Amino acid sequence: MSIGKKKKEKEFVPSQPYTKGTLAVQIIMTLAAVLFIAPLFIILNYSFKGKRELYLSSPLALPESLNFDNYAAAFKKLDLGTTFVNTLFYTVTSVLILALLCGMTAWAIARCSRKFFKFAYIYFIVGILIPYQALFLPIYMIGFRLNLTNTRHGIIFMYVATGVSFGVFLMNSFMSTVPLELEEAARIDGCSVFRTYFSVVLPLLKPAMATLVIMQSFQIWNDYLLASLYVSKKQLKTLTVAIQSLFSAQSSDYTTAMAAIVISVLPIAILFLSLQKYFIKGMTVGAVKG
Amino acid sequence: MNEKKKISYMEKKMSRQYFLMVLPGFIIFTIGLIVPLVLAVRYSFTSWDGMSAEKPFVAFQNYVDLIKDPEFRNAWWFTLRFTIWNTIIQNVVALLFAVALDSGIKAQKVYRTVLFVPCLISALVVGFVWLKMFSNVLPALNDVLGTNINFLLFGEKRTVLRGLLIANNWQWIGYWMLIYLAGLQSVPGDLHEAAKVDGAGPVSRFINVTLPMLAPAITICVVGITTGSLKVYDLLVSSTKGGPGRASTSVIYQTYTTAINGRQYGYGCAMSVTLVLVLLMVAMVQVKGLKKKEVQV
Repeated sequence: MSIGKKKKEKEFVPSQPYTKGTLAVQIIMTLAAVLFIAPLFIILNYSFKGKRELYLSSPLALPESLNFDNYAAAFKKLDLGTTFVNTLFYTVTSVLILALLCGMTAWAIARCSRKFFKFAYIYFIVGILIPYQALFLPIYMIGFRLNLTNTRHGIIFMYVATGVSFGVFLMNSFMSTVPLELEEAARIDGCSVFRTYFSVVLPLLKPAMATLVIMQSFQIWNDYLLASLYVSKKQLKTLTVAIQSLFSAQSSDYTTAMAAIVISVLPIAILFLSLQKYFIKGMTVGAVKG
Repeated sequence: MNEKKKISYMEKKMSRQYFLMVLPGFIIFTIGLIVPLVLAVRYSFTSWDGMSAEKPFVAFQNYVDLIKDPEFRNAWWFTLRFTIWNTIIQNVVALLFAVALDSGIKAQKVYRTVLFVPCLISALVVGFVWLKMFSNVLPALNDVLGTNINFLLFGEKRTVLRGLLIANNWQWIGYWMLIYLAGLQSVPGDLHEAAKVDGAGPVSRFINVTLPMLAPAITICVVGITTGSLKVYDLLVSSTKGGPGRASTSVIYQTYTTAINGRQYGYGCAMSVTLVLVLLMVAMVQVKGLKKKEVQV
């Protein structure tokens, strides 16, 4: 692929010799990559097409001109000024709270060997095995009872509650990278447990925090079920909920929907591309031996 | 004596502070997930409609009804097929892709990014995109190629699972591939060299050296794909809506229609409980079974 060719020189030199077999693999993977990227290309292609082209030209043809009408329409129909800001607000707030809570919890669990903390770890892990989707009915009910539905703090609370177990698991796996000597030194100097955590441990957890932040943002940004259950008020709606109503309303005229998709994917794609390293670290926790 | 007392006092104070650090997360998690779990079990023994004040206790009646309910059985049948096919296809293809990327091809990072990007898109959007792919885009290929392939996979009961598998695998293969790739890259090169010196061919080296080293990655991928597929919902909302007929109604989709649209909240909770039990069982069996293999190595 053409994007690949320019970058080729910068790539590290592979240890294996480049044989005919490698070339065959390269060709097969290029075909696979083209197949994988095709739907993305189709989305982008449609997002620039006019209504007339939708019916007259082949779906595979390129748009006649680059017009941004669909983007303008999507902006209006999604009420982007509200939904985008809402989604951003829910995501950022939930993720910040998660970062604060999970780091603290995981550290305390890792450092205190009392029975309660061992129990707490297993307790949190149960949450990874049971995705919240399986419990959406009582989750909705409890939100309704506690007056959490249709409020900003309600949905943020639930994103935090459903993200805590993965966060604790993730942060816990990073705790071995924090040297105990530093903590002991701080304690001898008379620091309380809290101070030790916030002034000594927390700064060392930065890479782990970055991993947590990107993993959770991507989950929360893309969430549909919880948002659709918790939010029905127009001014509180998230992007995915707005997109779903656009999908069902505009099934024949889908160029606007395609532009909406591009808009919704862009922020998370940018976040991924700029923090790829941390993302991969978070995904592969526990997957690599030693 | 005094010294000792002082130390134990210090320890107590410290563990109290540690406790305070765990507490907020513990409480939020309990309210947000554990209490709902308990509530689901409790309501599953009632015939509550979700609105009225009384919640008539019916003991195990809901579970008895579930066994006889053809729609519920149909939902599990779809969900299980979806899960099993996903687990097989995604694991095999992701591993093959990872091996291919690790084989010294050029521009590895470009392939990695391209294959990974679909998983950044929400499942809801993926469903819609493939709906349009199957109904509008791919049929145009027939005109170009002069073929007559039926691309309307979501339109027929027989093919709807295939269509959803394509959509789901397109979305997730790159994600699991990345985990396998990290696993592959952590295999020390000297292990391969040693095996080579001993006269092992590439296939034997892959089976005897690489695969055992990949055991933790395999555990993560198998458990992740299984739980991810069992909870399928978003993908269906924007693509098939559980149809045609009920051919692609998953357990969660069925729970939603039963409890929210059909106002049978207690009955829906019983459905949720079965799903939770299956999720827990699957996770336990897989983690145990796969862990055993890790130890043997």
